[in-house]
Amino acid sequence: MLQVRNIEKYYGNQNNLTKALDRVSFDVADGEFIAIMGASGSGKTTLLNCISTIDTVSAGDILLDGESITELSSGELAKFRREKLGFVFQDFNLLDTLTLEENIGLALTLNHSDPKKVQKQLQSIAAQLGIGDVLGKFPYQVSGGQKQRAACARAMVAGQSLLLADEPTGALDSGASKNLLEIMTHMNQKMGATILMVTHDAYSASYAGRVLFLKDGRLFNELLRGQRGRSVFYHEILDVLALLGGDISDVI
Amino acid sequence: MTLSKLSFRGAKRQAGDYLIYFVTVVMVCAMLYAFNSLVFSEEIHNLSDMMDNMTLTIVLASIVVVFIIGWLVSYTTGFMLSRRSRELGTYLLIGLENKQVARLFFLENLLVGGVALLFGVPLGNLVYQALRAILLTMFSAPYHFRYDFSLKAIGLTYVYFAAIYFFALFRSRKRIRRMKIYDLIYFERQNEAELFKKSKTRKTLFAVSIAFGIAGTILLMTAQFLLGVIGAGCIIVFVYGFFTSFSSGVPAYFDQKPERKYRGQSLIVFRTLTAKLATMGVVMATVALLFTATLLTEGSGMVFNGIFQGRLEKDAFDLLFVSDQESHRDQCRKNMEQQLPLTSSWQYKLYQGNDDSLIPYLEETAGYYQYRYSHDYNGPLLMACSDYAALRDMLGLPPAEPSPDCYIIHCLPYLEDALGQWKQPLSLDEKTLIPGKIYTEQFAQNLWNGNGHQFLLVVPDELCAGQPVLRFAVAAMTEYDITTKQYEMLSGMLYEQAADGTYTRKDEWDYLYAKASLLRDTAAWSAMAVFPLFYLALTLAMTAATVLTVQQLSEEGRYRRQFELLRKLGMDSGEIRRALFWQLGIYYLMPVIPPVLVAIPFILNMCNGVEPGTMVGASSPSVILAVSLGLFFLVYLIYTVIAYINMKRNVLPE
Repeated sequence: MLQVRNIEKYYGNQNNLTKALDRVSFDVADGEFIAIMGASGSGKTTLLNCISTIDTVSAGDILLDGESITELSSGELAKFRREKLGFVFQDFNLLDTLTLEENIGLALTLNHSDPKKVQKQLQSIAAQLGIGDVLGKFPYQVSGGQKQRAACARAMVAGQSLLLADEPTGALDSGASKNLLEIMTHMNQKMGATILMVTHDAYSASYAGRVLFLKDGRLFNELLRGQRGRSVFYHEILDVLALLGGDISDVI
Repeated sequence: MTLSKLSFRGAKRQAGDYLIYFVTVVMVCAMLYAFNSLVFSEEIHNLSDMMDNMTLTIVLASIVVVFIIGWLVSYTTGFMLSRRSRELGTYLLIGLENKQVARLFFLENLLVGGVALLFGVPLGNLVYQALRAILLTMFSAPYHFRYDFSLKAIGLTYVYFAAIYFFALFRSRKRIRRMKIYDLIYFERQNEAELFKKSKTRKTLFAVSIAFGIAGTILLMTAQFLLGVIGAGCIIVFVYGFFTSFSSGVPAYFDQKPERKYRGQSLIVFRTLTAKLATMGVVMATVALLFTATLLTEGSGMVFNGIFQGRLEKDAFDLLFVSDQESHRDQCRKNMEQQLPLTSSWQYKLYQGNDDSLIPYLEETAGYYQYRYSHDYNGPLLMACSDYAALRDMLGLPPAEPSPDCYIIHCLPYLEDALGQWKQPLSLDEKTLIPGKIYTEQFAQNLWNGNGHQFLLVVPDELCAGQPVLRFAVAAMTEYDITTKQYEMLSGMLYEQAADGTYTRKDEWDYLYAKASLLRDTAAWSAMAVFPLFYLALTLAMTAATVLTVQQLSEEGRYRRQFELLRKLGMDSGEIRRALFWQLGIYYLMPVIPPVLVAIPFILNMCNGVEPGTMVGASSPSVILAVSLGLFFLVYLIYTVIAYINMKRNVLPE
């Protein structure tokens, strides 16, 4: 579904050049749940921003469903984002002035969906994510976990094919984090969502089917879960992180 | 770093962040100074005796302006306090005392006020020059540019400013002194609790407020003092009720019709609006009230101006005297010839017509009505052809075309259509005349005792002879505009002094009209009434627009986050620009709707309350309405466009 080909990203000018991404390549198959891990400054968010077309690459190519997104115009990019990508951010990024229902409906409005069908669509997804009874509330009236589930609903409601999550559990307590990760697993397994999640939390990453490790902008390692249990996978991730040499307090 | 340095930096930042507020304060300072300069200008006072009254009206208007701007400064400082509460809380956290922080804030605002004065006074001098030029032109006095500073005017402006700032700042000082660190740091949270509180009585409140609005407008239109005051009270209830109930009414509407909510951009636009109304319904209502006051003040100013201008007949006789006594007329003519530099004069008679159907016809078709004093004649006034020809000649008008079988009609332009339809013949001395040509040049007809009340029939000389004489008149042209003194000398004959020293009119039907004198009176009345009204209107409009704009611009952060998110979600830049346009458009349109709805019937009614024939041409109701609304929207548009440009630059994602 997604092919990342040798992408590079530089910041700064000739005198002070920072290489945020250095020849990163990987593929994401349809229905995969991938976590990208790395210490602060390793380039995780830059990678996600490039895939999500919010940022541009300096070199290389990104193909989604065989279509190169590096060559699209700004109008096409906007269309691409609203039709194919769903976003979940660390700080939820819900609009304070809209109820949860309206925040989810926003994705459909942007896609020019039939206004009459909007409510039905969003109620169905909200029920699956367990927020059907708080749809009429404003973000400040619900818990962090509920907000994040609303963000997940917004990311999927319009039939987007790829869900990009940037530290989705970053602002949640452990209970809410677990709940959200289970919901994301449910979305991945039962609803067929392809998920690309950036995290520096090994526990969150252990929910994924595959983990990519970034260090100093380069793809350092890759772990596949296969048929192993989640806790075994979790420990394997911790081992890789120890190898990565990042500060351990950074990753737990 | 000393406190004063912190204050200075704070003031600098304040002027940058709240530039539009700062500009408004500077503009108001300029206006205060300009009008103060008028008050203290000897040149202006020497224009007419009546100009002494102008001092009173301008000072009164300035006091009202001081109150309005006092409110603006108080509101804005309170607003800044809430926006910067975290910063002020941090000062407390690092060990500054409350009173030191209060002093910091006080000094900072005082500095802003001081700088506003510094800019405002020179700018005010330019405004004063403009006002001076307008006034001198109105008085037909020569204008020469003269750059003069009035120390008294500067002093008074300082006094006004001190009143404005000390009132506002003492309030905020008190607030800061009482505040606790927690309150300051978590100030923003206090506001959020009030968001979207739904009221069950919303519908009732909404309906009641509309009823109050209609009642208030009707009462205002009665033009009676007591009823007007009650009407103004109703309008206040209406505006506050409307804006506080409307905010919860919109979501209720969309809850009933959810499919409308998800159509196009209505979701983003309407939610921003309701969020705004929920948190600032009272401010919106106050702004709407200020706009209502602006429009009513402006409209009143325009109507007064129309009335004053309506009295002027710029192209008619320089002098006209009309009386029911031939001897009075003869005496006046003698005085005129002896004392004044006449270039031409003509004495004539006005006769009583016997047709009693024309006036009722005009009353019905053209809204014509007669003054109470004119009841001594029921039919139209008649003038002899020869007199008419001489008077036209005196005014430099082309000769009329008399015909022995027709009567000529000379009337105010607004009666032309109705009289054109009039086909009734006129019987005089057993001769029947049919209606002939109609002339509408200025002919001293809008005076209560001029050449016919608004219209006149001109008939052959021989047919007049048999009719009763109603008025004896003399019209004259002078070599130059007569002076106030000359006018007083001439008008002295109209009065007699009683034993107690008071003057009374000798004869209520004696009427003297002097164009130059009326011109001066009109100019003086305009200066006294119209200038202060426009001064007030401008201040009101600027204050309200500033409050709206400061509110709007202070939310740039929230808007930026909103559009950044929308961009990430895939809204294209064209749609984002449109959404911003609609969000701002509706935000600025909302507080204008109730004022416009109140002002339109009020202004039209006020125009129609004046004698027909007065509010014509540039003073016609539609023009007055258009100009009142146009001027208001021009000022408002400047603020709106500035806000839009600012928002577009700072809020839209690149």
